[in-house]
Amino acid sequence: MPRNDPTDTGGLFIGRRPGTAPLQYRTPPEEGSGRRRRADGMLAAGVLALETLVVLSLWGPQPLAWLWVGSQVDYRTDSVMLGITVAFIGLIGSMILTLMLATRLDHLWRLIRRAAGHDQRDGVLARIFMVTAIVAAIAFTFWLVVLQGPAPSMAPR
Amino acid sequence: MPRFRDYYKQFEAMDPEEVSAELRARRDEEKRRALSRVEPLDLTGAGWFEPPHPEAVNAATFALRRALNTYADVAPVREAVAARFGLEPEQVALGHGAGELLRALLPAAGDVHVGWPGWQPLPDLVTAAGGHAMPVPPDAPAGDAATIVLTSPSDTAGAVLPRAAIEALCEQAGHATVIVDEALAEFAEPGGGAATLVGELPNLVVVRSFSKGHAMAGLRAGAALGPPELVERLAPSGGLSAPAAAAVAWAVSDRGAEVAARRRAAAATLHEQLADGLEGTSFHAARAGMPFAWIASGDEDGPAISGRLATRQVFVAPGTLWGDRDHVRAQLRGPAGVERLISALTS
Repeated sequence: MPRNDPTDTGGLFIGRRPGTAPLQYRTPPEEGSGRRRRADGMLAAGVLALETLVVLSLWGPQPLAWLWVGSQVDYRTDSVMLGITVAFIGLIGSMILTLMLATRLDHLWRLIRRAAGHDQRDGVLARIFMVTAIVAAIAFTFWLVVLQGPAPSMAPR
Repeated sequence: MPRFRDYYKQFEAMDPEEVSAELRARRDEEKRRALSRVEPLDLTGAGWFEPPHPEAVNAATFALRRALNTYADVAPVREAVAARFGLEPEQVALGHGAGELLRALLPAAGDVHVGWPGWQPLPDLVTAAGGHAMPVPPDAPAGDAATIVLTSPSDTAGAVLPRAAIEALCEQAGHATVIVDEALAEFAEPGGGAATLVGELPNLVVVRSFSKGHAMAGLRAGAALGPPELVERLAPSGGLSAPAAAAVAWAVSDRGAEVAARRRAAAATLHEQLADGLEGTSFHAARAGMPFAWIASGDEDGPAISGRLATRQVFVAPGTLWGDRDHVRAQLRGPAGVERLISALTS
């Protein structure tokens, strides 16, 4: 169904809704066979899963890893400030690299989805980012409140 | 691996900037082509290039929206035409165009001297009426022809027959009818026409048109001025149509004469523009004040000129229509039309 359908747009746009222009290829792509497309569909799912894991790593594994690195620096140099600095800079750097990787994966996912026969115009990175952030926030709250318990000052003696 | 990568690469969409750039390039190309497309310019006509004056159109429209279920009362229009030329109404016949009136005047047999060059369809009209057209110089002696047809101003160089020459010809012609086609008289100097001789010469009929100076060819209206016994049979049985009669009444009013004079001045200006544009070239044009120019070149003959103009989408009447291989006739279609004519001639 075209995306400028009034039921899609609430009848607000008479012409084409902004950002809904059809995909323009340099040359019309030669699409693969049905089998190839099915395989591409599965490959796209795999890439999406990988992308999700990569983004999810931002909310747990990476901060933890850099906290560990920071603690190691603190332990070996006996400098808390240096440990915090290394952990902070390292975390920012790895976040940037992760987002660059996620962007490439997202682009790859779009291409594979199109190869699988879908009219895939936009990526899904923003949505994954948002969903994983919510999931991570819920998980952290659960860990903080239920598993780890309140702070030591409030803990039962 | 490269093949595998290329397969997915082909699904890479062009980014919006790239698409916009492509659209812009396509639009620019279309614009470039649009500018290079040359519209044909038809300069074969001999009348004023603009539509009739809005007041003439208003008069015709007003008549059209009134009682069309009755015949138009032509008598007041006939009186107005007669008054314009200083004649009696009986000396005026209104008809469906000068061509129609000329055809009705032509004899069904015998020789007809046609002053040549003259109105281009004249020989065919003579033949259609049953006569035999004999082209003669406009100032040639009458000979034994029963009818002589002259065009003044001429359809080519715009030459005007002097009143004295017409008088002499009518006297020399004896009983023969002398018909003067003055379709282009609005563009000649006022007061020099043959119409004022009508009352004095019993064998002279002057035919006037409203198609050229007033640009009302589509209304089909003309007037024959002459002795009552010659012109009374020319009027169509039902008279003119109401819109045509209304437009003619406007054309012979002072206002109509004023507009015609303005067009005469505008035609003279266009001739000046043409002469300035052709200065220093091998082309020269007769400056007769007509709404067209009779153009010749020192380097090319008429067919070569018209052929070369045609390749530039400018179409003129070749002089060969009048048996002249040296000239072409080009209508002066306003300053822009003259500019394009000059450019096509000199490029």
